[in-house]
Amino acid sequence: MNMSVIRTLLIVFSLMLPAVVHAYAEGVTLTEMPTGTVAPDFTLSDTDGNMHTLSDYHGKVVIVNFWTTWCPPCREEMPAMQRSWEIIQNENMVMLGINLGEDEDTIFEFTASYPVDFPLLMDLDSSVTTNWPVRGLPTTYIVDPEGNIAYRAIGGRAWDAGELLDRLRVLHRP
Amino acid sequence: MARFKHFITSNLTATLIAFVLSFLNIASASTTLGAAPDTGLKFWHWEDQGVLLELKQRLPDQTRGFFEARGFDQVSANKAGTACIFQTMLRNTGSADSGRVDIDLTQWQVSSGDSKTPMLLREDWNRIWKESPAQLAEPSRLAFEWSLLPTKQEFDPGDYNWGMTSYGLPPGSRFDLELNWLRIGEHHHGRIENIECPDDIHPEPPSAL
Repeated sequence: MNMSVIRTLLIVFSLMLPAVVHAYAEGVTLTEMPTGTVAPDFTLSDTDGNMHTLSDYHGKVVIVNFWTTWCPPCREEMPAMQRSWEIIQNENMVMLGINLGEDEDTIFEFTASYPVDFPLLMDLDSSVTTNWPVRGLPTTYIVDPEGNIAYRAIGGRAWDAGELLDRLRVLHRP
Repeated sequence: MARFKHFITSNLTATLIAFVLSFLNIASASTTLGAAPDTGLKFWHWEDQGVLLELKQRLPDQTRGFFEARGFDQVSANKAGTACIFQTMLRNTGSADSGRVDIDLTQWQVSSGDSKTPMLLREDWNRIWKESPAQLAEPSRLAFEWSLLPTKQEFDPGDYNWGMTSYGLPPGSRFDLELNWLRIGEHHHGRIENIECPDDIHPEPPSAL
């Protein structure tokens, strides 16, 4: 190969490196929460009328995602969440999507375009959302088997990425 | 041997230049102004020191429609729609070890002509709706509050958030935005110039052929 071609490739690669590193880092980063940050308990109905209480999932890793249908990054990450759910649902993990302030019909219409199997809970008066340290949407928390918030992610993530899922699996180990 | 030395030197130099350029790509402030090809709505893409801000114009009619669909009466929807609203995205684009960014929108300033004003934030709008004769229903107020970018938020590397921002200027106004943020407690600031509030236009759908 011509040396000038090699040199050009080196330059192009160097220029692209930060973008590649950023793109990768954006999708899988999780922020560790201070040890002992207790996840506020809640009881909410899902779109099928089933009640879900967070403390009932003690002993499992719980992914709690706060979202709305009108929030673009929430919609964008929903397929990745579904793919993740298909991988982890038999690994003693639970995924809960908490919708802020929208009714069953709105969510039902949304799931026609973004089909998901994990429970979508309805926080109609925002009382649960405001009880958690949520500022904007989407925000996702990872609750460890003891009921503490282990990680936080503000904005969408590649929830089906192996590296990210491995960090959740580690939470099962003592 | 001399040829080999020349090859090593020239390639090392080229690579070093490339790395410096790529670093500058992250480290220097840059603003890109563009327009969506399908709508013509303008956007400003600004990045500096690992903070990215994207502002996209929202037509007053878009915002009116969005909130009317969430139970707003026409007067309230118009008030929101004509408050110079932008679809906004904020992101910490710093490297994994670059640290947390703290954003407090009360510290941002809107300069238009000779006046400097703060942005219209969630708290301001809550007060506006409380004082409004047309009392908004709670779900409508809730939808409005959560559709705005949060006033204060911390962004770890990779975190981003989306929401509307409002500047309280009439449609078609121009302004400069002064931004302030903390990274690991250290103060930083930036400025985006000549941002345009969207005009209150009512584009007609293309006529049928």
